[in-house]
Amino acid sequence: MRVFKLILDDVKEEQWLNDMASQGLHFQKFRFPFYTFEKGKPGEYVYRTEMLENLGFGQETKNYLAFIESTGIEVVQKRFSWAYFRQHQSKGAFELYSDAASKLAYTNRIYAIYAMIFGLNIASALMNGVISYADASADANSFLAGLSTGVSVVILYPMLKSFFRRRNLKKEIELFEL
Amino acid sequence: MHQPLTEGIYYILLALYEPRHGYGIMQIVEEWSAGRVKLGAGTTYGALKNLQDKKYIETLAGEERKKEYVITQLGKEVVEMEVARLKELYDNGQKLIEAKGTK
Repeated sequence: MRVFKLILDDVKEEQWLNDMASQGLHFQKFRFPFYTFEKGKPGEYVYRTEMLENLGFGQETKNYLAFIESTGIEVVQKRFSWAYFRQHQSKGAFELYSDAASKLAYTNRIYAIYAMIFGLNIASALMNGVISYADASADANSFLAGLSTGVSVVILYPMLKSFFRRRNLKKEIELFEL
Repeated sequence: MHQPLTEGIYYILLALYEPRHGYGIMQIVEEWSAGRVKLGAGTTYGALKNLQDKKYIETLAGEERKKEYVITQLGKEVVEMEVARLKELYDNGQKLIEAKGTK
């Protein structure tokens, strides 16, 4: 079964995949903009998504994925630096990161990506906006200005969410870890 | 004086008094803590990398998928200092509870 869906928020995507799994629809692969699901027992798998280090390239990423698989976690799909994992529910709770320090390191990684996409799109929106303002025939620039503004607005929400997640984790570490 | 270890790092070091691979560490730590400390695979991987950089642990020869780790002499010294620190915390807590506690 293929489902058309656009999600830019990492937390929402993971939640959605787990909601689908609880209804017996198990995620198989993502090919923009379609998610493919396979029918199975409701709640059979727990899904986790992760932004890999090193943009998902190189030996380090291979080592990491091999390690993940050696612990009984299935790598469902790796698309560039974005990975989908799942584990059978019989193995109990499934989290990739179990303490505040490693959760913070991961949230920093996610936040940096959102902030970079946001920054590039704001810059592009301004630049193309100025060009299309100066030259009324610059339709391509006008279109790009609109597109970049749109992406900036859409990415703002998950970016802020990861920002506050970072802040809360830092507070937790101050209280409990040292 | 070194910094206090997190309980995850502490348990990983204890687990490596015997050579173990990553999943073996996660399983024994869960068993020792009666299910309380369930190390995530991502957390364990990052911790093993950091502990290798600090030379508290080292890898035994073997292919990547089944790589085994073991604690070093330096790692054992860190564990012993940590146990002494925990003993101090425990003793002082116990003393105070006995003197002024509700029991």
